[in-house]
Amino acid sequence: MTEAVIALRDVSLTLGEGASSVHVLKGVGLDVAAGEATGIVGPSGSGKSTLLMVLAGLERVDAGTVWIAGELLNGKSEDQIASFRGRNIGIVFQSFHLIPNMTALENVAVPLELAGHADPFGVAARELGAVGLSDRVTHYPGELSGGEQQRVAIARALAPSPRILIADEPTGNLDQATGKQIADLLFAKAAERAMTLVLVTHDPALAARCSRQVSMRSGRIEDAPRMAKVPA
Amino acid sequence: MRTLKLAIGFSLREMRGGLSGFMIFLACIALGVAAIGGVNSVAQAITAGVANQGQTLLGGDLRFQINQRRASDAELGFLDSLGTVSLNSGMRSMARLEDGSDQALVEAKAVDDAYPLYGTLETDPPLPRKQLFGERSGVFGAAAPDFLFDRLNLHIGHRLKLGGATFELRARLVSEPDAISDGFGIAPRLMISNDGLAASGLVQPGSLVENAYKVRLPDGAGDARIKQIQAEAAKDFPQAGWSVRTRSNAAPALSSNIQRFSQFLTLVGLTALVVGGVGVANAVRAYLDGKRGVIATFKSLGASGGFVFTVYLVQILLIAGLGIVLGLILGAAMPFVASALLKSVIPVPAQGGFYPSALAMAALFGLLVTLAFALLPLGRARDVPATALFREMGFESRGLPRLPYVGAALAIVLGLAALAILSADDQRIASIFVGATVFAFIVLRLVAALVQWAARKSPRVRSVSLRLALGNIHRPGALTPSVVVSLGLGLTLLVTLALIDGNLRRQISGSLPERAPNFFFVDIQSSDVDTFTHLIEKQAPQGTLVKVPMLRGRIMALNGVDVDKVKIPPDGAWVLRGDRGLTYDARQPENATLTEGTWWPQNYSGEPLVSFSAEEGKAIGLKLGDTVTVNVRGRNVTARIANFRQVEWENMGINFVMVFSPNTFAGAPHGWLATLTDRQATMADDARLLNAVTRAFPAVTTVRVKDALDIVNRLVAQLGTAIRAAAAVALIASVLVLSGALAAGNRARIHDAVVLKTLGATRGTLISAFSLEYVLIGLATALFALAAGGVAAWFVVAHIMTLPSHFMPEVAVATILVSLGVTVGIGLAGTWRVLGHKAAPVLRNL
Repeated sequence: MTEAVIALRDVSLTLGEGASSVHVLKGVGLDVAAGEATGIVGPSGSGKSTLLMVLAGLERVDAGTVWIAGELLNGKSEDQIASFRGRNIGIVFQSFHLIPNMTALENVAVPLELAGHADPFGVAARELGAVGLSDRVTHYPGELSGGEQQRVAIARALAPSPRILIADEPTGNLDQATGKQIADLLFAKAAERAMTLVLVTHDPALAARCSRQVSMRSGRIEDAPRMAKVPA
Repeated sequence: MRTLKLAIGFSLREMRGGLSGFMIFLACIALGVAAIGGVNSVAQAITAGVANQGQTLLGGDLRFQINQRRASDAELGFLDSLGTVSLNSGMRSMARLEDGSDQALVEAKAVDDAYPLYGTLETDPPLPRKQLFGERSGVFGAAAPDFLFDRLNLHIGHRLKLGGATFELRARLVSEPDAISDGFGIAPRLMISNDGLAASGLVQPGSLVENAYKVRLPDGAGDARIKQIQAEAAKDFPQAGWSVRTRSNAAPALSSNIQRFSQFLTLVGLTALVVGGVGVANAVRAYLDGKRGVIATFKSLGASGGFVFTVYLVQILLIAGLGIVLGLILGAAMPFVASALLKSVIPVPAQGGFYPSALAMAALFGLLVTLAFALLPLGRARDVPATALFREMGFESRGLPRLPYVGAALAIVLGLAALAILSADDQRIASIFVGATVFAFIVLRLVAALVQWAARKSPRVRSVSLRLALGNIHRPGALTPSVVVSLGLGLTLLVTLALIDGNLRRQISGSLPERAPNFFFVDIQSSDVDTFTHLIEKQAPQGTLVKVPMLRGRIMALNGVDVDKVKIPPDGAWVLRGDRGLTYDARQPENATLTEGTWWPQNYSGEPLVSFSAEEGKAIGLKLGDTVTVNVRGRNVTARIANFRQVEWENMGINFVMVFSPNTFAGAPHGWLATLTDRQATMADDARLLNAVTRAFPAVTTVRVKDALDIVNRLVAQLGTAIRAAAAVALIASVLVLSGALAAGNRARIHDAVVLKTLGATRGTLISAFSLEYVLIGLATALFALAAGGVAAWFVVAHIMTLPSHFMPEVAVATILVSLGVTVGIGLAGTWRVLGHKAAPVLRNL
């Protein structure tokens, strides 16, 4: 068995306080091997997106341990996690979340600039070329179609060459044809660069393209997860 | 450094979206900075005008003033050895029409042929000196300003009598270059020659005449030479008692008054800036709320919280910088505008120019206010979690940001207060002002919270409009806190100033004249006292005449130490500045209450003793047994303090800081001062008496108290207008904040209005709901402003000015009207667009 690049043990998380609190994750355990493509599926409110946030280090857990790319995230400060994320995790959002006042090129360069890369704009231009947007580098998000915006978002996620690519409903805001193109691009790039891909989706066809599917219901993973040895 | 460079780069990219959300921010900062920069630039322009034209304004390089006597031969010899000397004599007197039918108090100024040593005397028509003032068959020439021509209905060629001499008005006085250093007069100038004054017979032993010897030094005499002359004058003529002024200090009283007034206006401008700070905070909060997605995206891409903070801090500072530059441009232009406008008010040319220190201070205030108000929203933005991308409203709390940000904001507020206090001359007043502003700010926040709490807890009402209004008052993002704090602060300032001004003017035009005597008579010769008394008894049989001997003198030393070397607090400084009226009395005056010590026996003949005013004596640090040296008519006299007296200055009667034992001035010639109090006297009675006294005693100067008070009242009104104009800047800032808060909340209002319309609400319901909301907020704000302003004004009037304080209903009504006008007027103007919004486009985007 290959090494687990993601290892969650007994992860629990409650959001909100008092009467309005919601127990979102209840003792979740999950291992994802390096280079694996995992699709997380489940009904609305099952905790899929929250699990994704935990994997991205965006949400702190109340209990359990979170190992990502060989590092234990529990106990790290917010800024330490941010810098870790910048190097190791690329995220693609359903609503793209491009920065409106920056061009496509600048949007892609942001994580490289934050990580102190020597040539952020050169790399960003290459990544935009790789997703077929060489002629759109100087356009602002408002001047791009939905599909083009998502390509920019994918280029941005790939630019720092992260080990893990996380996607939250990446085709959710796109029509069927564009959605398929984006899914093709995502899978092709992840495979090409041997990245671990974890995506959340409602789309059974998209989930079916993953090498493995994890189903969630009421804050728990329904199928028995494979457990690997956690690094000491 | 790399991070900062990167943050600046990100900020610049972020700002490509333009400044649309920042117009109010820009306007608030620009307005406050312009007010502070402008006021201080104008003050410096006037000070620079005084400094640069010192020779002209002083009428020489040096000015030696001696009162009630001419310079001795030795003194004159010394003055003549310095350069060209010009003698100007000034005194107040009564100018009468030739037929005696009318008279007016004038400030006579007698000049010699050398006058003016610097600058030009402008008259209309321009005449050579001999023609203007010279004698023609027993009649001397004179020039006077339009005011005197109008007051006595005169024309060129008409004649006036001054003392025993006749003067022909040969020209109108257009400009008197050294008017400012000879003091602002309470009466119009009548300029004559020294020969004319001598012929009038007004200068008698004891007359209150001021002789100013102005000296023009040979060209090239530097400041070192002037200092040397001052030292020589003090050393060689210790008994001269002259007050020496130099070209570098031509109008010290004006300079210090301008400085004090500008510092007060700076504080008012700072309040405007603080009011505008609420707008800054609102703009920053609204902007950062709109940037939640971008901030979360930055974080999901690896940005630290500190980096996010820096990116937005840089943006806020760049925008504030733009506002500050705009304000500085406006402030820098003010001296040029003011030099034209102030010409008629202050007889000093304001030097239009660029005053970097005034502008730098304004910029610093602008920067600190921006930081003080922007740090908390910026600190909160730092903590926007990346999960905000996944949820519209996160579960995160929206309370205070992290401690370092709260601490930094507090430190900046303290720095701001310290800067305002330390840069003021009167740090006590500045501290009270700053303390009151901070206190009002905190209380207003609490008032806003209370209003919101009351709206939330109010019982369910049947009226839909009222229910909507109450809901709007307390919902998240409501106008309430912004409006209550900013408008409340602006209104409190206005109410305070209006009540102080109103109380002061009520005193001057109402209460003071009721207590004050009708007339003051000055320069009654000792030989005339009895006949003068008979005349008054005949003319005003019901009146009360009080008369006392009167001399003038300057305090030279306290306990043998030269007053120039004694450190005196500002409260008591006026006692030592220039000449004071002095008197002597064998018995304790009837209206005097001793606070310490005892009065001297009736036929006391020992060491000279003095009774000192308790308040002023304490202010300059005197105690029983101390000695005071005064110079009277060129002679130094030292007296020991025998007692302290309570003096009620506000009763406008005869009051002296110092009353001496009679043996102190034995044999010294002096005049008498008298007051006449006649409660029954009508205006016609006053006019008749004035005319009778002037006819019988042309050398006696008569001041009608009501006329003098009218002049003071006009002056207070002018100052009040200037102060209210400055305070209006704070109100404009409030209006800006209100408009900004309305604009920020408009999306929510459009949403509500459209949803309510689709549910059947009419325009009427919506208008009354919005109006009720604005009325309730406006009313709460006005009531607070009235209460806080009332207390502040009472404190100033009753405790600082020690005058009776009254609340004025007209101020209350005006405050409520202004408050409601601003909130309802601007509120409805801002929301009018909301009512006309079509439902479909909004519903599609819901």
